Amino acid sequence: MNASPGARLVILGVAESDAHAVANHLIGMQLREQGFVVVNLGVCTPLSEFADALDLHPRAEAVLIGSLNGHAYQDLKGLPALRAAGRLGRPVIVGGNISVGSRKSSSDRRRLLDLGVDHILTDASRIVLLLDMLRATKVAEPQHG
Amino acid sequence: MADTDDLGLPSEIAARLPGPRDTLANFRALREFGADRTSTPFVCDVLREAERTGRPAVQPRCGVGGHPEMLELLRTLNEAGPAILSVTVDSHTRLRRFDVASTLLRTDPTGLNGYPLVAHGWQRVRELIRSVPVPLEVRHGSPDPRELFAVAMAAGITSFEGGGIGYNLPYSKDVSLGHSLRAWQRVDAVCGTLAEAGVMIDRELFGTLTAVLVPPSVSLAMTLLEGLAAVREGVRCLSVSYPQGGEIHQDVAALRAIRSLAARYLDEDVEVYPVLHEFMGVFPRTPEFAGLLILHGGLTARLGGATKVISKTVQEAYGIPDAAVNADGIRMTALGASEMLDFVRLDEDRIAEEQHWIEREVTEIVEPVLGAPDLFAGIEAGFGEGTLDIPFSASVHARSHIVPRRDRSGAIRYAECGGLPFSPAVRRRQAACLERSGAPGRTLLEAADADIHYFLEKENVFTTAHGNRGNR
Repeated sequence: MNASPGARLVILGVAESDAHAVANHLIGMQLREQGFVVVNLGVCTPLSEFADALDLHPRAEAVLIGSLNGHAYQDLKGLPALRAAGRLGRPVIVGGNISVGSRKSSSDRRRLLDLGVDHILTDASRIVLLLDMLRATKVAEPQHG
Repeated sequence: MADTDDLGLPSEIAARLPGPRDTLANFRALREFGADRTSTPFVCDVLREAERTGRPAVQPRCGVGGHPEMLELLRTLNEAGPAILSVTVDSHTRLRRFDVASTLLRTDPTGLNGYPLVAHGWQRVRELIRSVPVPLEVRHGSPDPRELFAVAMAAGITSFEGGGIGYNLPYSKDVSLGHSLRAWQRVDAVCGTLAEAGVMIDRELFGTLTAVLVPPSVSLAMTLLEGLAAVREGVRCLSVSYPQGGEIHQDVAALRAIRSLAARYLDEDVEVYPVLHEFMGVFPRTPEFAGLLILHGGLTARLGGATKVISKTVQEAYGIPDAAVNADGIRMTALGASEMLDFVRLDEDRIAEEQHWIEREVTEIVEPVLGAPDLFAGIEAGFGEGTLDIPFSASVHARSHIVPRRDRSGAIRYAECGGLPFSPAVRRRQAACLERSGAPGRTLLEAADADIHYFLEKENVFTTAHGNRGNR
């Protein structure tokens, strides 16, 4: 499980109001198994701490935020302000259960995307696929300066 | 000698407490018949009696915000014949947000997920204690319970759950183990002083931890370390809880190992009582299947020689149960432990083999810590290095590099031991148990998900074959 210095790195954590630890640990293990270096900030992590972690680990490919208690929107409301300040400049992927109640409407997704969330996943087994796609897109983009 | 003055309480809390003499007199008066011809036993009295009869004492979890509602809840549950009742405390009080708990109590008591004991104060808790003939235990989840404990003692509560590991790592993100262990050390020291004065406080240790796929030896190692810390401070009555995993041979072996490990590591004059917490993981949804698991818990407790069993309800999958359903859970658990099922015999060889390995694993986990010059420093260093660990920790102070899995029989094994200092023999045996298990080709995530939802999957198979009423 020891990753090489050039290994791919992601930042992982659970949204501020949410204490669900089990999925967080399982996703961390899955990513490490796939060779990723995982900076796991754990449960109850304020958005500003995700930004701090990205400042410390600028080579992170993405920021993965779990939210299972249905309060994703409230917990991520600070995203536009952080982005305006030039922070959290990586794909923000939110996963889990994005709103209260058993039926998810497209407006729940829309609200999160409007905040600047880049991707919403409800199936944790697709995280690696998404990360691979994001990397492929990025490599394909012309490099500036 | 430690008394509540040594808890280091904020002055505004300390000022509202009665003096130590009043507290002691109140404890002593509990067992005496008053003018109303009632007396209340201590929790340790009930445990001794259960031990004598060989039938586990049954206790539900219960707690609501408002005081009249709590009185009503206790009286309703008492009709189901529990041996002990609980005062489950709300999460604001657990996190020492006493002001928030007080405000909610005034404005919206139904918004509290338990009884805000500090906000209500010791006088009202005395009223709770006098309202039912069985004793009360305070259950919570606080890494630093000093205020809560002081108010509970002032009220005359005779059993207090928790410990510096089990009430920290599953409940708090970033409270250092040094802090929680020392806070609980002060609690234990007060219990020691009370024990010397003839007031025996039962201290229940929370071996259930994160409640998801906890390998027995992790649970037993953590409560053994907490038990050693408690006994060192003078605690004389320990309840050691273990979470039902669902494979009965393993669960019975774990409950029996609590006694043998206590005999090996703790002073012989300490009373140690194994406690089964009925299944704490993802619960079946239909009343029939949930009821079966509850009955099974009562049976497991009796076969394992548990002194006490904490009951579940058929509403477990849906949140906090209502009083009638909670009372049914008490009855169902008691039935499982009753003579109706005394014909059940298990494969004793299989249990003995399980028990041997559980004890060996616990020994391998705790011995390096016991070799350290200072117990708390040893525990902190162990978690820092990963030689002590729990699965699925909410706290950043445990690595959670252990990966638990169920084997084909449903028993909980180690797929990854993380940094636990296991011998090659233990590792080989764990690997052998898992070798025959699991569908091939599943990812770690899928396999863990299936193990966590073990009873839900069994229930689905059942309802596919037999249909379900579709209620709830």
